[in-house]
Amino acid sequence: MNPSLAPRPARGPVSRAAAGTLALALTASAAALAPARGAAADLLHPSGKGVAEGGAIWAGPRPSGPPRRVVVLAPSLTDVVLALGLRDRLVGVTRLDDAPEVADLPRVGGFLDPNPEAILGLSPDLVLWVTDGGALPAVRRLAELSRASRRPFPILALPIVNVADVLATPRVVGDALGDPAGGERLSRALAAGVESIRMRGEGLRRRRVLFVVGREPLVVGGPGSFADELLRIAGAENVVAGARPWPIYPLEKAVADDPELVVDAAAREPAGGIHRLAAIPAVRRGAVVRLSSDDLLRAGPRMVPGLEELFRGIHPEASSTGFRAEPGADAPRPSGAPGAAPPPAREPAPARPGGSRP
Amino acid sequence: MTLSPAARLALALAAGLLAVGLAVAASCALGAQPISLGAALAGAEPDASILLGLRLPRAVLAALVGCALAAAGTALQALLRNPLAEPFVLGVSGGAALGGSIVLVAAAGLARVAGSAGEALGTAPPVALGAVAGAIAATLLVFGLGRVAGRLVPEAALLVGIVFNAFVAGVITLMKMLVPPEQANRLLYWLLGAVGYESPGTIAVGAALVLGSVAVLVLLSARLNLLTLGDEEAATLGLDVRRVRALVFFAASAATGAAVALAGMVGFVGLIVPHLVRRVVGPDHRLLVPASALFGAAFLVLADAGARLAFLPLGTEPPVGAVTAFLGGPFFLWLLRRSARPEEGTA
Repeated sequence: MNPSLAPRPARGPVSRAAAGTLALALTASAAALAPARGAAADLLHPSGKGVAEGGAIWAGPRPSGPPRRVVVLAPSLTDVVLALGLRDRLVGVTRLDDAPEVADLPRVGGFLDPNPEAILGLSPDLVLWVTDGGALPAVRRLAELSRASRRPFPILALPIVNVADVLATPRVVGDALGDPAGGERLSRALAAGVESIRMRGEGLRRRRVLFVVGREPLVVGGPGSFADELLRIAGAENVVAGARPWPIYPLEKAVADDPELVVDAAAREPAGGIHRLAAIPAVRRGAVVRLSSDDLLRAGPRMVPGLEELFRGIHPEASSTGFRAEPGADAPRPSGAPGAAPPPAREPAPARPGGSRP
Repeated sequence: MTLSPAARLALALAAGLLAVGLAVAASCALGAQPISLGAALAGAEPDASILLGLRLPRAVLAALVGCALAAAGTALQALLRNPLAEPFVLGVSGGAALGGSIVLVAAAGLARVAGSAGEALGTAPPVALGAVAGAIAATLLVFGLGRVAGRLVPEAALLVGIVFNAFVAGVITLMKMLVPPEQANRLLYWLLGAVGYESPGTIAVGAALVLGSVAVLVLLSARLNLLTLGDEEAATLGLDVRRVRALVFFAASAATGAAVALAGMVGFVGLIVPHLVRRVVGPDHRLLVPASALFGAAFLVLADAGARLAFLPLGTEPPVGAVTAFLGGPFFLWLLRRSARPEEGTA
């Protein structure tokens, strides 16, 4: 195409030196392969297992005693620590945290963009992190620095992708914070709450539901998503088929699916926005269940009251018994625990399991 | 001022190195977390980790990227004989992002079939080589299609580059739909242009590529002077035009590819810096190339520090690519108006 670029034998000392330098640079970059793959590879290459399958990863030394300076990089984990009654251990949270108990704590960036500098500045003795690709470079760097420092601190990476992982997380976090019994209690309480909703849904007719998390573009919970699993527990059938967990869904397909009910989980967007989807018959009929907060999709203790709200919305006929989310008499603290849902805040839902919030 | 060429070069290099030093020092001194420099240098934690483990590597990364982009911009301007040429505008950065993305997506696919092989493919060196290959392909495309009746027409080449950029953005968006969410986040990073926290190994790979290709451009800088005269004149003066041009193409593409592999698509550095440096040192590429490389490094270090500090009260930071585009977009338009005037010669 471009004759001037045809290779020719090198001529002149400068050209030859230039070509030599370039070759050297390319060789050097290939030789550097080893160090680039080195440090903190354990965080980079998780087993692919969730917390429930033992997929939690410790990077760095396990704490010898109960950690006293804990930095939490996901609001759902903050909720776990609060529900364990261990607020006094926290020294830093994300800017997305909206629990009133941590309103006065220093912020260390967001869920997707934690600030390593702010985290180090708090001299933590434990960092809790929900595994996510967006934050990986910063957390990996943090792990490398911790390893190289004289006072290395551990990072506990928790891959939370499904309901079982949410239920298992308090057990792992309680263990890490030196309160295994409390963690076990909270895990059991949450599991009992989920199980009671599942039982109540079992005898009921499974409604066909479209689960909407974004209206423009239309983003819905597909097969394999956290939402899909929650719908099944709440006694509903997801109308969405396909391969992707959070697809951008063609509106005409949503119309053709003709769900009986639309769940509007875009809790941080104005309620009226659902009318953009008026082409869907259920929306025209007003068969819309609007979730009052994003508790349901927070992969922490708030999921249980969220699930209760979803169940009541889908099965109003079965909800007249006045059942309240009952995590069990042994739930240690009301704060952030099931039943105590703080008002929604303005930032987008942070811990969205399965990633892919558009 | 009458100085010998050697003295002028020494002066320009000294000023450039001083600028890089000051910029890195400023970037190391400022940040989200107040630290004590004395304590950090004495090894007290967490000050030492913040200064030496976070701020310094990040400043070095920004310096490498700025150095590569400014040097590549200077070289491309000489090749195209037009001051508007720039790796980002010409689509060379876009080609690099596409090349790197293809390697990342291939790695994600391979990881599903053969785990460790896929992981190896997804590490810094293969991605960097993919980016370099993409940059070279884009350069060939732009300079090949920018010819009308065998003559290189700068406006045509620029238009090809702009269209190619839009094409790349579309293709990367399509690829984003096909990969798992974690990979999608990584791909998005390519388009944003952000200096982040890379491991020392990755920085070493980038440094080898950047310093090697910038060294080539510096070695060829005297020949770039001849190239700007036009192919015929340069050939008459004894220059092997094809050979030199191919090397400059290759080195500028390699520098851009390395920069994109390290920090994604940071735009307009190769436009702003060479232009400002040219105003001070003049059009002689023997001065212009090394001085642009150094001041480009200083510029991006400061731009990144600015990005880190500007939104500090909100607890977040914009990608540095947004800062350079904010500065560079209007600058490009101003240059365009200015070079459109008939009495102004092009550099």
